[in-house]
Amino acid sequence: MQAFLAILRYDLSQLTQSWVSRIWVPMLLVPAFFLLVVASTEDELASETLAAYLVAVLMPLSALAVAVLTAGAIAGEAQIIADGILSRSVTRAEFVSAKIVARLGFTLAVYLIVMIPFSYLIVRYAEADVSYAGLLIGLFTAALLLTFLGALGLTLSTVMTNVMVSVLVLLIVVLSSGLLLEFLGLSWMSVTAVLTHLAPTIRGETAAWDTFRVLFVFSGLTAVAILTTYSVFRQRDL
Amino acid sequence: MHVVNTTDLTKIYDNRYIALNALNLRVEKGQVFGLVGPNGAGKSTTFRLLLGLQKPTAGQLQVFGEEMGAERADLRRRIGYLPTNPTFPKHMTPIAFLQFVGSVLGMPKDRAKIQLTRLLQAVDLAGAASQPIKGFSTGMLTRLGIAAALMNDPELLILDEPTSGLDPAGRKQTIELIRELSGRDRTIIIATHILTDVERVCTDVGIISAGRLIYSGPMADMRRLARQGTIAVEIEGNTSAFEQELHTLDDFGSVRYERIGSEFRITFLGTQGLNEYLHRVLALIDRTGVELLHVDTGSDEIEEAFLRRLEDDRTRGFLRAAAWAAALDGNTENSERKEEADAGIPGHPSV
Repeated sequence: MQAFLAILRYDLSQLTQSWVSRIWVPMLLVPAFFLLVVASTEDELASETLAAYLVAVLMPLSALAVAVLTAGAIAGEAQIIADGILSRSVTRAEFVSAKIVARLGFTLAVYLIVMIPFSYLIVRYAEADVSYAGLLIGLFTAALLLTFLGALGLTLSTVMTNVMVSVLVLLIVVLSSGLLLEFLGLSWMSVTAVLTHLAPTIRGETAAWDTFRVLFVFSGLTAVAILTTYSVFRQRDL
Repeated sequence: MHVVNTTDLTKIYDNRYIALNALNLRVEKGQVFGLVGPNGAGKSTTFRLLLGLQKPTAGQLQVFGEEMGAERADLRRRIGYLPTNPTFPKHMTPIAFLQFVGSVLGMPKDRAKIQLTRLLQAVDLAGAASQPIKGFSTGMLTRLGIAAALMNDPELLILDEPTSGLDPAGRKQTIELIRELSGRDRTIIIATHILTDVERVCTDVGIISAGRLIYSGPMADMRRLARQGTIAVEIEGNTSAFEQELHTLDDFGSVRYERIGSEFRITFLGTQGLNEYLHRVLALIDRTGVELLHVDTGSDEIEEAFLRRLEDDRTRGFLRAAAWAAALDGNTENSERKEEADAGIPGHPSV
């Protein structure tokens, strides 16, 4: 447990000081402020504004940031991990757990820091057409998509040794999965389809079953990705 | 008690490259064991397996009498490890890094601070303790690596090429540090290809070549083996007479010699002691009336012995393989002999 906490603290301090975080947060805040001004002066619909922000700003920018932060989590530090950390009294499970908690926790913290005040201000100053349950489900769905992306990035970082390649593979997998799912008749499972349905979800217009199956599928995929990360890293030669 | 005990330890990467080939390594408590071998011989792979960073393809591996594996954090707690060219988080200072190591090891903060202060002074980094690591020289990085390896006051210290990339002063300082660390029930394993380092600090030595341990034994035995039968003399005067008379030394078995200017390098292939050979050579010098300028029974002896072992291992590979296979066929009664064969102990055809 002490090793887990030590690595968690170390990784969080690395994340807060990283150039990705320094760029990521301001790039999310500037458009949010702009949209807030426009929505309040033009009486835009809150649900549409929130969904537009999530689809056009937060998710693409965050996807890039999360890809870099997670796909490089293990591959990018391979030498230091093996020689400096795992050669000491640390188990692989402790190490991977600390990495998962730090990277996914940091991603969700940034998401919540941006989205909670932004959602509150939009609901207050734009034309309020949201259902509170729908808003919570919408925000939760977007958070789940980011978590899934992060978990997949961590899995790739245990398999691949080159950070750039794992980031590229992650983005290609996420972007191309839509085509494959459409071909399989499962387009509702694609990230793009889930994002385009965010506005009705925030208004509370999405059927409960549709919401449930999306949450169920992405929670399951996230769990599979995390378990794969543990399993692959446990077997890996360092 | 064996601190390290491997039996037929084998590591094959991707079914393509054999890094370790049935390695049988025994290191006892309190030894300073030098693992010597050329680059790519399998020294670092051996260490990574000892630390549980890699999985053996075959064979057994015990550290402190227990099986080592990726999840054996309890065993790693008792080991300190200095990798070759250690890498550290560049933005950290030595104090911050050693504090991090202390917290990973589960040390109470106060104890960690006392220990890191003591270690930074011991490795002569107290003056640079608050500087970012990114500005450190190779020597400073090595010394910081040694300090990190010693944070938990380990029973087993593994040093992989500790003098690699250091200038002569840095090398001397590191060797002195290792010498200070030996004793007190601590076992040290040093991998290196610099033989003089081994000679200076090690009590025991193992020679590894192409993933196999071709010799293992006390440093004194290695020296004895190295010195056996080779005497170099530098003479002045009637050197031709001396050269002509050299064949008279053949009473003691076959003699070979090599002349380089005024230096004669005489090798006796017999089984008598060095004293006897030396006595005969000095008698010949006296008889032929040449003037002795220099006599040497051990210059570069360890290096010579090391190279001879490597050469034997290469040229007699088939004999060795046959002996090894025979030992494998045998039962437990023969296991001792197999161990001898693997370690290149006299009596085996490869020696």
